[in-house]
Amino acid sequence: MGLDPEEFTVDELTDELETVDDADELSAVLEAERAGQNRKTAREAIHRRLEAVDAFDDAGSDGADEASEEAETEGEYEETREEVGEAAEGEAEEAAEEDAADAEGGPREPSEAAQEEDGLSHPTADKRHVRALSGGDYRDMWVFCEVQQGELLEVSKEMLGKARELMDQYAADYEEEHVVAFLMGDDCEGLAEECIAYGADVAVYHDDDRLERFLHKPYSEIAAHMARGQGTVESTDWRAYDEPRYVLFPATNNGRDLSAQVQAELDSGLASDCSDLYIEATEISNPVKTGEPGVKKTFERVLHMKRPDFSGFEYSTILCLDNPDRDFHPQGCSVIPGSFEPMDPDPDREGLVVEHDMELEEEWFAVEVTEHDELEAGVDLTGHEVVVCLGRGIGDDPTLGVELGLELVDAFDDAALGITRGIVTSSYQFEGHVEEYTKEERQIGETGQIVAPPLYIAAGVSGAIQHKVGMDESETIVAINTDTDARIRDFSDYFIEGDLFEVLPRLTEALEAGELDVTAVADGGED
Amino acid sequence: MAMRRTDGGAEEGYEHYEAIVVGCGPGGAAAASRLADHGVETLVLERGVEAGSKNVSGGLIYAEESAPYTIDDLFPGMREAVGERPITDYYIHNIAGKKVKTYDLTRLHEHDTDWCDAVLRRRMDAWLEARVHEKTSETGGGVLTGVRVNGLLRENGEIVGVTCDELDPITADLIVAADGVNSELARDAGLMDWEEPDEWFQGVKAVVEMDGERIEDRFAIGADEGVAHLFSGDLFEGVRGGGFLYTNADTLSIGTVFHLDSLVEERAEPHELLDALLTHPLLAQWLGEEYRELEYSAKLVPDSKKVAHREPYRDRLVLVGDAAGQMQAQGPIIKGMNHAVTAGALAADAFARTRRDADTESAGRAYTSMLEESGTMGKLRPRRYEYTSVVSERPLVTRVVEGVLNSPVGGVAVGNPLAKRLLGRAYNSPLLVGMLPDTETGYVTLPSVIGEKLGRTVHWENEVEPPALVDRIGELTYDTDVGNPHIRLRDESYAASGAAVTACPVSAEDFGGGCYRAETVKTNGTEETLVSLDTQPCVECGTCAIVADTEWEHPRGGKGVEFRQG
Repeated sequence: MGLDPEEFTVDELTDELETVDDADELSAVLEAERAGQNRKTAREAIHRRLEAVDAFDDAGSDGADEASEEAETEGEYEETREEVGEAAEGEAEEAAEEDAADAEGGPREPSEAAQEEDGLSHPTADKRHVRALSGGDYRDMWVFCEVQQGELLEVSKEMLGKARELMDQYAADYEEEHVVAFLMGDDCEGLAEECIAYGADVAVYHDDDRLERFLHKPYSEIAAHMARGQGTVESTDWRAYDEPRYVLFPATNNGRDLSAQVQAELDSGLASDCSDLYIEATEISNPVKTGEPGVKKTFERVLHMKRPDFSGFEYSTILCLDNPDRDFHPQGCSVIPGSFEPMDPDPDREGLVVEHDMELEEEWFAVEVTEHDELEAGVDLTGHEVVVCLGRGIGDDPTLGVELGLELVDAFDDAALGITRGIVTSSYQFEGHVEEYTKEERQIGETGQIVAPPLYIAAGVSGAIQHKVGMDESETIVAINTDTDARIRDFSDYFIEGDLFEVLPRLTEALEAGELDVTAVADGGED
Repeated sequence: MAMRRTDGGAEEGYEHYEAIVVGCGPGGAAAASRLADHGVETLVLERGVEAGSKNVSGGLIYAEESAPYTIDDLFPGMREAVGERPITDYYIHNIAGKKVKTYDLTRLHEHDTDWCDAVLRRRMDAWLEARVHEKTSETGGGVLTGVRVNGLLRENGEIVGVTCDELDPITADLIVAADGVNSELARDAGLMDWEEPDEWFQGVKAVVEMDGERIEDRFAIGADEGVAHLFSGDLFEGVRGGGFLYTNADTLSIGTVFHLDSLVEERAEPHELLDALLTHPLLAQWLGEEYRELEYSAKLVPDSKKVAHREPYRDRLVLVGDAAGQMQAQGPIIKGMNHAVTAGALAADAFARTRRDADTESAGRAYTSMLEESGTMGKLRPRRYEYTSVVSERPLVTRVVEGVLNSPVGGVAVGNPLAKRLLGRAYNSPLLVGMLPDTETGYVTLPSVIGEKLGRTVHWENEVEPPALVDRIGELTYDTDVGNPHIRLRDESYAASGAAVTACPVSAEDFGGGCYRAETVKTNGTEETLVSLDTQPCVECGTCAIVADTEWEHPRGGKGVEFRQG
């Protein structure tokens, strides 16, 4: 290519373009600009020149067509990128490249002009990635399985399930390659075996007491070391390739932290927060990727990584493709939890569990976790034998109402106290000792918890539809209400007409005296 | 490329469009459509899951002969696609107890009317949205639903764009606020306020299922005909307002509209007033025995006589439709959507005309003068009303007139044969109707005296049992934004916010399942009545924003109530 737009400011470029009369060459310059800085003003300058050249030379019409095509796609914002076709793919792939640049901690090749201007020393300007590969050998899909409190996170299992599905298809389309789980912690041999049950062919783990909690430095060092196949012969002889072909990380706080660093260590890019994945070939015309303008090149076995964009109003598909003289592998992404289904675990699945071998340097553990706190899980009303729910019928004396409800709860072996939305949003002044029972975390209904216990006792609950959907599946429903027209009567098995302030204490009393057989009631018994 | 992303802050600049239209009702749709005609790159932001899902109207849309734009000019095929029925007959019923005097107002209805269709908003607005999206896509924009614009973006004190709950701020050369009666943008700009109940009406409506052939049979109309009935008189407990019934293709729209200040003053329950109409003997002939209500809805209506903004713009922001108070409700003339369409189209033309102008307010100024020159402002805010109201709305004058009407002399005056003819003619005069004072006289006393003196008694048994409020709420569709209520009570005392307990269309005294509940609370031996709020049943009408002390916003995009009929 004759002219590299990267070397010029837009004004300089405009002057330089005057010397180019060949439409093909101008198209190449345009492509290079798009692939590079993609300055709007520069693109306009090239378009103007293309039009001028076109006026004299019909042969150049190719380029002009492309130009108008671009103008069109600019407008149709609602189309997802893959629908827009070639041009869009070029862009998506750029995005991956940008990520790679970000992950490395700075622009890959800062222009000399910029260096001169800012007056800084740029100590890393000459840094070249020592392990950068070209024409490397890549295989398998690696899945980083995050562990917390001695258990695999759900998203780890979800990713294994998706990886299994992808690699089964891969085996059908191309050849057999493996799903490799890699994980670390203070005791994860058992978890590595669990990974096999959830779909991995190989599970590589590293145990160390100091790895109980996530620490950025040692975790990323170990992960990169594993991926490169470094370590003793025994721990690496199951593989014979340079780096993984694909890597999946969970898009959790720790997974995001780790994924950027590890992918940078492996000198590749990262598509963050993806929600769908598939593998197929793709045809690319971007000269940065093909090596020469105007030529299309097919990339095989490309991991297509879809991510919600613009707050989820559209999806971008990110591709991570090799340059002619530099590889971008592994193709890696982080995956939003909940995007995929785990497979049903099969404890008889066969697979290879490998303990990773590596010396961990003391200085990696300079960061020490001195204190940690667990967030409260809130109140779970499900799974109890009995749920006692209080509604706005307690309004005459809200505090007493809650006290009576709690006494009834205590009289059962396994009961929980719930409330309606009407209580949560009321202005009732509860006394301190019952106030904790009147918060949103105990709300039953459409916007709260949905329960289906064997016995549901609704005291002073009118039975609005929004409440009904939260308890309708209960086996036996007993309603206590002064209003015989209350909606709840329509879906109760037993309706006690009465004031809850009188009925609740009597129920409690009867229970404590052993006069009331609850199982009989729950079974729809004879009395 | 596809939609452009801006992750960066100010240094990278915000996403920019030539025009942003907020709201995809008729006003927003008209504006966006005309902007696209002018080749303007236009982004439409709609907070509903689909246009129409947040929108309610009485249900008649007019095409006026004198209007510069009508909706079928801008959206050809609209009537065939989403018009329910053309309204070919128009009546008003003056009711006193069981006595009813009916006047045929078809002449008034047809005055300046090219056509008038009954419509349901979910269907109509969703159809408009699809057309708008198609048109605006061609000029580099489109419609985004589920996006709530929550305020104006300013730079150095000047309005330059909008901020959203869901997206990064977006800048534009023109911002059209077509965000409805509770326009958050109009208030952010300081152009409208939320203070005076007497500047608003509140309407509630039931959409009732009825087979098309049965409608034609019961209303004595053909397949391509429709009818509108208006109701006034003493069936609404003295609250100033009236009722309506419009025939749709296979439903009826039946509703009541009242002055909000009167609702508050009388402590009336809007849903009960609607029930009073539904169960009146007069309606038995149409409703029959089976009554199936598909949807209960409510909306505020600005009184354009008082609040139609004479200069609805600030910087590059223009207001259109309800957001600008452009809702004409003068006695039996009820027109809103047509004016919104006209205003939206004019705002777009104003922008196209002044596009190259460096002054950012020139579009707003041009829009204002086009509203005047086209006669739109004259209809919305008749000068003659401003002259007459000064006299006729004074309490003393009201009392005197009432006194005369209620006296034997007044009754005779209404009852004599000459007056009979004159009354029919007076109702049909747009000029006189435009002068009707907004007092009890026009709404209650005069119609009931007419009904009493001239009416014939209806003896039909009305067997309709309207659903209870709890069931009406239960039938509505909500996507509740759990833990993020869009209304907060600033003052929970009954004095400050108690009016909402009755005035809110989904609340009532002694009803625990509504938005606003009065609760007697005992603290340390003293007892006081407090008001509590649950926004879950909210139908987003805005009543409480005016009658209670609240911080009122719309729910986030796609959240809250979703009307299926509208």
